[in-house]
Amino acid sequence: MQSKLSDTELIEQTLAGNQAAYADLVKRHQRFVFTLAMRFTRVREDAEEIAQDCFIKAYRSLASFHGQSKFSTWLYSIVYTTAMTFLRKKRVDTDSIDDENTLIQLENRPTGYDVNNAENKSRSFYLNQAIDQLLPDDATIITMFYKGEQSLEEIAQALGMEANTVKVKLFRARQRLKEKLERNLKHEAKELI
Amino acid sequence: MNNIEEILWNYIDGSCTPEEQNIIKTLIAEDEAYRLKYQELLILNKEFMAIELEEPSMAFTYKVMEGIRAENALVPLKARINKKIIIGIALFFVVTLVAMLGMVFASVNWSAVSAPVNLTYSVKMPSIDAGKTKIAVDGFVFFDVILALYLLDGYLRKKASARQA
Repeated sequence: MQSKLSDTELIEQTLAGNQAAYADLVKRHQRFVFTLAMRFTRVREDAEEIAQDCFIKAYRSLASFHGQSKFSTWLYSIVYTTAMTFLRKKRVDTDSIDDENTLIQLENRPTGYDVNNAENKSRSFYLNQAIDQLLPDDATIITMFYKGEQSLEEIAQALGMEANTVKVKLFRARQRLKEKLERNLKHEAKELI
Repeated sequence: MNNIEEILWNYIDGSCTPEEQNIIKTLIAEDEAYRLKYQELLILNKEFMAIELEEPSMAFTYKVMEGIRAENALVPLKARINKKIIIGIALFFVVTLVAMLGMVFASVNWSAVSAPVNLTYSVKMPSIDAGKTKIAVDGFVFFDVILALYLLDGYLRKKASARQA
């Protein structure tokens, strides 16, 4: 069961030496941090490594968090920096994610669904598939905006950008996501015919 | 604002001014193109809100906490020494020194000072056993040698690491 204490209270307890309080903080934010890491790496093992690294880094510098922003905003800025460093190290060409080859690879990924059984595929499945096909930056902004309870200003703070830049990027990301979603649904409809 | 879609997204996000909001509200009510686009975007917005988050492995929290424990264990001794211990040691030495000074002053024959003509005075030094003194001196020298070796080792290590960097 997760703690009902606020993030600030859990941080205070952690700083006082209560490691169980930090475990509660991890449990509270792990899904979102892991999802953000997945947006960058698209490989579960790598994403888990990044997410763990982020929580350890956050623990190490918890004393320097003065509560000027939300803990989640501060944590997501660590995720962004760690993921970017990871990608740089791995020399992943993020631009190539839009290539047709990659698209084919993503489409051929094992999904756990029967490909011929369209009934099993909900619209949310296609939505997640479309997010996987976005550029990491676009997918991150969309995820932070819709699932991270972050305002444009907070996203800008976490990503080290101007709020207006994030606004424009969010608009473009939504357009791309819409296009990819429509393309995937059309492709599926053609297969059924 | 560039196009209908951008205007409507700003309206849906609530990121435009109250005046702009009123204008857009009127446009949606009066313009068919705006109304249809607005409905389309509302459906999309609802769908985007339903994006599912990924689930990490069951042992994720445990692994993080293990990582933290492992890291804490690796913290060098120098960083783990409590400042209170250092203050305690310093206090011990200060108290010992004060006690020794007190002993010395207590053994001084101050009555000689009051004599106006005869200025001689006698300081009674604590008696020290010769055998015990030799052991104490040997121990002191041994401690000094160990301390000198430790400091030399530290100095050489620092030099070596600076050369590597």
